[in-house]
Amino acid sequence: MNKIILSIPIFIILIISIFLFIFLLQEKNPTKPPSALLNEELPKFSLVSLFDKTVTLSSLDVVNQITLINFFASWCAPCKVEHPLFFKIKKKYLNLFILGIDMQDTNKDAIEFLTTDGNPYDYVGVDEQGLVGVEFGVIGLPETFVVNKDGKIIYKYLGPLTDKIIEDEIEPLLQ
Amino acid sequence: MIVIFFCLVAKASVESDLKNITSKLRCMTCQNQTIYSSDADFSKNIKKIVEEKLKNNESEKEIINYLIERYGEYIVFEPQMNIGNLFLWFFPFTILALCLVFFIFRIKKN
Repeated sequence: MNKIILSIPIFIILIISIFLFIFLLQEKNPTKPPSALLNEELPKFSLVSLFDKTVTLSSLDVVNQITLINFFASWCAPCKVEHPLFFKIKKKYLNLFILGIDMQDTNKDAIEFLTTDGNPYDYVGVDEQGLVGVEFGVIGLPETFVVNKDGKIIYKYLGPLTDKIIEDEIEPLLQ
Repeated sequence: MIVIFFCLVAKASVESDLKNITSKLRCMTCQNQTIYSSDADFSKNIKKIVEEKLKNNESEKEIINYLIERYGEYIVFEPQMNIGNLFLWFFPFTILALCLVFFIFRIKKN
């Protein structure tokens, strides 16, 4: 009994050390912030088209297909950096549905941006108030999500995509 | 006159609840700031959502749960009381109890 009680401090230090070690081993990548929506159902949304106000796309329209969702805005400089990469993805994966969500932007600026730099998206929805962004847990622009055929979010990336990220992390999910 | 009075009271109540709730939320794009004290776009969006939900008579718990479902527990400063956080809440007390047992034993022995 005496030995057990005398070993209490060692036991406490051991437990604290184990938890500190686990904490240090955890991945701390700012581009991969904790996302509560990962492996969860796609949030419900309804988006009016940027180019035609009479057309609406809802979350139900993107199930049964792999979908790449990209939150962007014409005023967002990193969005412009990653923008050409979506043309490459589209060229390689013809059946992939790429949904662009123009967040907290003016329609005029967004149309001008997509006219000048080209439009790689299959559909561009307007999220003027940023409410759809909140549904997706968007922290900052750009943010990219991959949704599988079951309508579950299987990938999230915060920040501008690069060739390497697409090749290493996104493309395996699009097969 | 009465209608205006009740409108003003309701508005003040929403503003007070908005301040209370957003003070408990973390601005995820700032350096350790609350949503309430931040002017970042992210915080403005969350304030807007919280205000709307308060106007729809949603409770503080419902609003905080809604945000946790989307942003994870990181958005709240205070860890939630749930199974995942049991260790976090009770570990300090366990350590305290163990230390007390240890010191009582040592004192008795001496």
